Amino acid sequence: MKKSRNNNDNRRNGGRGRNTPFAKYMQEKLAIAVIFITLALFILILVIYNLIKNNSEDYNKIVLSQRQADYVSKTIPYKRGDIYDRNGNRVAGSEQVYNLILDPNQMFATEESISPKTVVEPTVSALADFFGYDAKDLTDTINSRRDSSYVRYARELSYDQKTEFEALIDELNSNYMRSDDANESKKRIKGVWFEDEYKRVYPYNSLGCNIIGFSSADGSTGTGGVEQYYNSSLIGVNGREYGYLDDETNLEKVIKPARNGNSLVLTMDANIQGIVEKYLEEWKETGPKSKSASVVIMNPKNGEVLAMGSTNSFDLNNPRNTDDFTDEEIYAFGLEEAVGVYRRENPDEPAITEEEVPQHFSHDEIMSYGTQVAWNKLWRNICVSDTFEPGSTQKPFTVAGVIEEGIDKPTDSFNCTGNVKLSDGVNTWQINCVNRNGHGWLDITGGITNSCNVVMMNLAFNEGVETFLKYQQIFGFGDYTGIDLPAEADTSELVYTADEMGKTSLATNSFGQNYNCTMIQMASAYCSILNGGYYYEPHVVKQILNADGAVIEDVEPKLVRETVSQSTCNYLKQAMFETVETGTGKHAQVEGYHIGGKTGTAQKLPRDARTYVVSFCGFAPVEDPELVCYVVIDEPGDPGPAQANSAFAQELFAKIMGDVLPTINLYPEGTDASDYKAHVTVLPDSEEGMNDIAMGDSISETAEGVGSSSSVQPSTAQELNGGADAPDSPTVEGGGFGEAIEDPGDAQIPVDMPPGYSESETYSGSAENRETEETLPEEAETSDEN
Amino acid sequence: MARQGQSGNRAGNANLIKGQRAAAEPRKRKVRHFYDYSLLFAVIFITAFGLIMIYSSSQYMALINSLPPDYYFKRQLIIAAAGLVLAVIISKIDYRIFRLRFFVYGANLVSIILLIATQIMGIASHGRTRWIEIAGISFQPTELAKASVILFVAYRISKAGLRINDPQRKEILRIYGWILLPAALIASQNLSSGIIVVGIATVMLFVAGKNSKPFYAVGIIGALCYIFRYKVVGAIELIGNTTGLLQDYQMERILSWLYPEKYDAYQTMQGLYAIGSGGLTGQGLGESLQKLGPLPEAHNDMIFTVICEELGLFGAVSVILIFLFIIYRCMLIASNARDLFGSFLAIGVMAHISIQVVLNIAVVTNSIPNTGVTLPFISYGGTAVLILMAEIGLVLSVSNRIKLET
Repeated sequence: MKKSRNNNDNRRNGGRGRNTPFAKYMQEKLAIAVIFITLALFILILVIYNLIKNNSEDYNKIVLSQRQADYVSKTIPYKRGDIYDRNGNRVAGSEQVYNLILDPNQMFATEESISPKTVVEPTVSALADFFGYDAKDLTDTINSRRDSSYVRYARELSYDQKTEFEALIDELNSNYMRSDDANESKKRIKGVWFEDEYKRVYPYNSLGCNIIGFSSADGSTGTGGVEQYYNSSLIGVNGREYGYLDDETNLEKVIKPARNGNSLVLTMDANIQGIVEKYLEEWKETGPKSKSASVVIMNPKNGEVLAMGSTNSFDLNNPRNTDDFTDEEIYAFGLEEAVGVYRRENPDEPAITEEEVPQHFSHDEIMSYGTQVAWNKLWRNICVSDTFEPGSTQKPFTVAGVIEEGIDKPTDSFNCTGNVKLSDGVNTWQINCVNRNGHGWLDITGGITNSCNVVMMNLAFNEGVETFLKYQQIFGFGDYTGIDLPAEADTSELVYTADEMGKTSLATNSFGQNYNCTMIQMASAYCSILNGGYYYEPHVVKQILNADGAVIEDVEPKLVRETVSQSTCNYLKQAMFETVETGTGKHAQVEGYHIGGKTGTAQKLPRDARTYVVSFCGFAPVEDPELVCYVVIDEPGDPGPAQANSAFAQELFAKIMGDVLPTINLYPEGTDASDYKAHVTVLPDSEEGMNDIAMGDSISETAEGVGSSSSVQPSTAQELNGGADAPDSPTVEGGGFGEAIEDPGDAQIPVDMPPGYSESETYSGSAENRETEETLPEEAETSDEN
Repeated sequence: MARQGQSGNRAGNANLIKGQRAAAEPRKRKVRHFYDYSLLFAVIFITAFGLIMIYSSSQYMALINSLPPDYYFKRQLIIAAAGLVLAVIISKIDYRIFRLRFFVYGANLVSIILLIATQIMGIASHGRTRWIEIAGISFQPTELAKASVILFVAYRISKAGLRINDPQRKEILRIYGWILLPAALIASQNLSSGIIVVGIATVMLFVAGKNSKPFYAVGIIGALCYIFRYKVVGAIELIGNTTGLLQDYQMERILSWLYPEKYDAYQTMQGLYAIGSGGLTGQGLGESLQKLGPLPEAHNDMIFTVICEELGLFGAVSVILIFLFIIYRCMLIASNARDLFGSFLAIGVMAHISIQVVLNIAVVTNSIPNTGVTLPFISYGGTAVLILMAEIGLVLSVSNRIKLET
């Protein structure tokens, strides 16, 4: 076909102009060009074929795994369970928050006609307008992280913010799309999305911090309180959104929802806890400076802890705030800690002193150790983790054993001469009573109301080591209470065994010195007396709810053992009522209520430092105790005998109870009577009507309890002449009292009456006593109590 | 091929389409004009196929751009339809009216002005751009420049006629000199388009001139460089490192071509994964996984990889064969055109299509370094389709001037 019709014409024209022929050589070269092109294309087909032949399987796998990877990585976070108080107030919860994620990669991955400018600018301006972010900062962030698909720009946005912004994006984008203006129509907002996250919030900040504890930011672990103890219940299982490829390599998207954690209902009552913390705060602000003041309130009928707190509190929403400590303090903690760290890390090297610490550790390291120590101090739950010598609050248990075993009758009398002398034939120890001059003849009730050490020592001698320790064990001392809070102190080494206990330690133990217990142990033991002899495991969680709010576990009161008989209990209740009415506990009285309780003043180690722990364990109403409130104050005021004043604890107790009792519908007599008159039972020996307790079944018990109170009327008289509530100082004279030295409390040593101690009016008769004591030659460590 | 086409009848042109021959009435010496319907239908077919592939590959892109899923498809459909109408209209115009000096130089002047305008606008908006907006319509001047260069070179060759081989005139060098300006301007905006323009002119001048030796020499040197590319690149790297002539990113781009996995050439690797996972018969139309995110520009430069993934080697070979058919038809038209201008228009268009096809497939198979080249008639892009359709219209017009002797 190459022979064109025009060939001749073209030649005629001499190869010029429009009719120049397509020369033969051109035909050939065109054919060569096409052959080259064809060759190139066939080579490329070959290349593709080789690619497929060699890599088809591998690449197919890569493609599939890439596809799946898009989904596999997506985790749906679980929601950590909420925590409620007993009235349903949410004291800890997880709120869904949203993190703002920028995807600059997506913003720039556009087709060319939509330039990055038309995406970045509207997106930035929308973000800046809606959230008030700095537009320049946003633009810089986006430009500098161009290749990233995940830039977390903001955290913890609310659901409203998220949904409103998403609606705004949709609206703006559809406006842009519909816009007639060529520039506008290219604009898009994209590359912005929200990531789910849960944030732990504690609506009441520091309220109940020791009971509740706090959780880590990701909600997977808890520190302190039920957040730690019940962590496994509170956490859930993360869900997952993933894809799998079915037989036909269609991607099936599967969403496995997260299983949210269970919620807890505490036995804590936020109102009561709030009152407790209010007065603890007041004490901290206005009272004498003390190391700490702690309060536990329990329901004696079932071991529920209604409130637990101390002056050692922290904000659960900001638990790592160490503003309470100065940098110097933290540095000092750090030095101390670093010595221990060095010893652990270099066990073979000689130990270093605090002065040498800076040679081995940097300042930052020391501060870091110090901060950790400070946190642990801050988070420490004194009520459960700290042990101390309880002092006279022990006395009801000493009496309980004696009465229960029938060794002595309540009416048996003992002559208190002011001290007891013990002798092993070589040495003689003198253990003083609070009243150095002696209480004279007291029956057992008088021993309690006057807090007489001599009576207690005599009772203990009468019952002997075996029986004493049996009842110490029955009342749970030296054992874990099993409370559902972390870090309960181990007291097993802090009480005596029968082998170790000699007469002096028996004597000092009888009034609560020389052995250690925790507040929760003491409060639980009181509960068992007040409920008629049932020792319940103290607990802080009432119910466990699933994520839908259905109850999956009711925590029933767990009866650990029966302690003493109902009659013994009634007797002790009455005796403690007398103590508050007429004895050493008068400061604990609350207008309009029948309060019972026992004071405690314990001298701390070392004895010559004259530091004291004062306490009061009280309950109300006496007829049917609804609440036990145990107040312990560590070293109120400056060291010295003035500390030994349980009135500090009693007054704190009275303030707290005065506010707390109405919250559980126990109103003071004479007020608001119309509300509960129907329930009032006029009790035989009570001039006023009893404060009713909203529980009908309590009435019979009440009658019984009060009935017994009349039988111990004599004790009141005794109290009057005995001059109540002097700190009894068991004094041990002489040295070499080896047995006692091994004591955990190390407390058996001569006890001495703190001269300045005073329980104000109640101590009317004790002026001489004080003088006497001061003349005593042998002073040493003392357990002081009242 | 000349001989095989003859079948008793001396009307050599008639074998272009067999049906035509049958219809020819031997007794009437009526002049009939040829029209290459098979080229037209091949182009319609491949454009329609391209639309299907655009629909398949652009849905995801549309989705993440918050657009309706058929957004890209619809836009391309409208432009392709308009382009087809344009092609048919141009094919009915006698191409020889474009052989006016005024028109050829005017077209080149316009495209050069547009290129410069784009450059200036790009500088003004602090970014490089290949787009210019005229009356609200975005337009890519580089595509227009390709067409005007074809027009220009064809004009010059036809003007020179056989004197093109006159050693005194050095016509070929002069033509190269003329296209230097537009080629440089295009290359500054889009290197690959610059290469394409020079390639088109080279093919046209190769065919036009008698002396092939310089072309073969350059071709052989190029082939040797390609075969020993690892060593050549090593040498370039050495020179670049010692003289500092090459920027790091340029070196990296070359190295990532040779070692795509090592240099994490993401787009290239994703394209290869797509081709490889397609296998011989593909995953099935619309079943590509790579278009769902991993593969950027799935409906654009990388659309051939989606074809491979969905339709396999079978689909890829089919597409290449259709292109070969179009090239073949252009070649036939060039051979039989009424004049040199028509021949070289057809050759220019053929060169344009074939160079882009070869470069595009070579890029996606990582046979050459990654440069943005679209696949003619298939890749998404308004200007490219319109210009290509106009070029096909010209070729059809050339075919329409071929007289069938009956």
